[in-house]
Amino acid sequence: MKTAGIDIGSLTTKAVVLGDDGAVFSATASTGDDRGQAARQTLQAALAEAGSGLGEDLYLVSTGAGGRALAFSQLQKAITTCLARGIHHQLPSTRMVIDIGAESCTVVKLNHRGRVDDWASHDKCAAGTGIFLQQMSRLMQLSLEEMSVLSRRAKGRADITSTCAVFAESDAISHVHRDPPTPTEDIIAGIYHSVVSRIVSLCKRVGIEKDVAVAGGVALNEGIVRALSEAVGFAVIVPEDPRITAAVGAAVLARESMEKGMS
Amino acid sequence: MTGHAEARTPETNKVRAIVRACRLISRMNRLRPDVTRSENLYYQMLSDYFTRLLDARNNGDFIAAHTVFFPAELLYAMDLVPMHTETTTWMTSLFTGECSDLLEAGSALGLASEICTPHRGLAGAFSLGAVPRPDVMLWSNMVCDNTAKSGELIMELAHCPGFFIDHPFKDSPEEKQYLVGELEDMVVFLEEHSGRKMNWDRLSEIVARMDRQVQLTREVNELRKSVPSPFGSRRFLELVTMDYLFPGQPAAIEYLETLKQELSDMVAQGKGAVARERFRLMSLFIPPMYLTGFLEKVSQEFGAVSVVEPFFTFWGEGRLDPAHPLESVAQKSYMLPEMRMYGPLDDRALDAITSCAREYRIDGAIYYADVGCRHTCATIKLFKDTLSEVDVPVLTLDCDVVDPTLTSQDEIREKLERFFELLEDR
Repeated sequence: MKTAGIDIGSLTTKAVVLGDDGAVFSATASTGDDRGQAARQTLQAALAEAGSGLGEDLYLVSTGAGGRALAFSQLQKAITTCLARGIHHQLPSTRMVIDIGAESCTVVKLNHRGRVDDWASHDKCAAGTGIFLQQMSRLMQLSLEEMSVLSRRAKGRADITSTCAVFAESDAISHVHRDPPTPTEDIIAGIYHSVVSRIVSLCKRVGIEKDVAVAGGVALNEGIVRALSEAVGFAVIVPEDPRITAAVGAAVLARESMEKGMS
Repeated sequence: MTGHAEARTPETNKVRAIVRACRLISRMNRLRPDVTRSENLYYQMLSDYFTRLLDARNNGDFIAAHTVFFPAELLYAMDLVPMHTETTTWMTSLFTGECSDLLEAGSALGLASEICTPHRGLAGAFSLGAVPRPDVMLWSNMVCDNTAKSGELIMELAHCPGFFIDHPFKDSPEEKQYLVGELEDMVVFLEEHSGRKMNWDRLSEIVARMDRQVQLTREVNELRKSVPSPFGSRRFLELVTMDYLFPGQPAAIEYLETLKQELSDMVAQGKGAVARERFRLMSLFIPPMYLTGFLEKVSQEFGAVSVVEPFFTFWGEGRLDPAHPLESVAQKSYMLPEMRMYGPLDDRALDAITSCAREYRIDGAIYYADVGCRHTCATIKLFKDTLSEVDVPVLTLDCDVVDPTLTSQDEIREKLERFFELLEDR
């Protein structure tokens, strides 16, 4: 029987099939309006990667914002548990994983067995999330990649609040319209600092412990990862595909549950 | 004006809503074989308390409104009708599901949305005339600056005289003696305004019963140490209410004796409050009132039971002496479970949570972080670190004790599920 995990996020659905040797086969797709359909298609794509199909026996664990609503998974697990197991599978030395998703940010502290010790999350405001960065990218009329590259050239840092996404946007606009305008790269550095300071305060709530890994789509943003490393004072690590960490964890939990059931 | 005519006016509608809800629950409980006698007694007591308040004007009684952690023993001894202000707001939320009208009215008075909702709601209730107008307002600096200021505002809104007790936080003979002096002054104030004399013999009787009440609560807590624990999470408020509304009252003794017997029977039979106890929890601060039913459902579903509340039901050491009633009333205020947290934050608070964690075999703790209570929220990190030393994980649930708009039920459920998964996975 194959084991798989699926993480249905608010923007992206990620599916992972675990090979017998622990190899990870994955697929990602936009969640869209029909979560069930997105889940089925993403899972099918991941299974195809693993050289099998939906008809085979499958033990599936779901997680994420839409995980509970998924009718065809055998088990639903909390995102925190999945992140801990997933990062433990991807980077076993990790003791803290920061998952920066589209609409929320979750920090999970884990032990050497990949079990959750503590966690903290903020989901009341878009500040410190992927959606906020997208908003800022539209405002700056730059792609996320361009922002990341430009941030390296910053010589200063614009003051941008970290407490509220709407106020942060106003701050950024005021910097653009100053006479003379604040240099674009300094505004971007300010935006990154705003995101990162909010995330770091969340990390401090549970206690920062090395190694710290970053997961979620935002982990692909090199500028944010660099700013995070500067803020915590050491290099944070990023798994090979940070988007699928929770789905990997779900697949690991599926394997554990199946093995438990067989023993 | 007749009592019934007054009951139809807006002035008493919140109290009337509470009375109606209590009566309805009592009626429904009579049809449920699983409801215990102590539960029935509890709702009867609430109904009686608020009915007395509702009928006070008609009966020519003198209403003394007072804030939380106030020595209501003195009011009972003088045969005055007490109105516990914060509990009235809580009960409004608990029995009617919300109190947004009161909160909005409080905001309209200029109270910021960050201010403690029971106090904001209180001010709103008085400005709307949604609770009876008291004859006097009594308050103290127990437990916070908010309480100290709130009493003053209520006095202005209700156009009544008031008395403020300056309660020293430190627990020393000199400070206690100072508090006794404050209580003596308050008795003089009450005698002047109510025209009623303090009945010192009655106060002694009340103090003797209060001593018994504390002992019984301690015995109930001992029974809650059993595995499985026989006392359900949702009933936490019953124990708290016994002291808040019924200090030293015969009904409280009857309730606690009945409860103790019921719990003893359950322990003897190996019965727990939930079908399969999986997680033994410590509760820090107060769960949202409007989610009482929901939290009970979650508790049953996950086998999670709150077995101890170190700062609400876990009394400090000491006895009360009826031969020295006023000194005993002062002494009791230093034994209050809440005093460990709201007084000077010393080792008493930290020792209580670590010893409770061990003695009650706690798996995890839930910190109900009421955003309006800075006093409480300031201790989150401290308590969390202390509990981590005894390997007890803590879930911090951002919420509000009476305002449902801050956190959704789904959000709370999701966080609880994550926490239970954490506990299970350890």
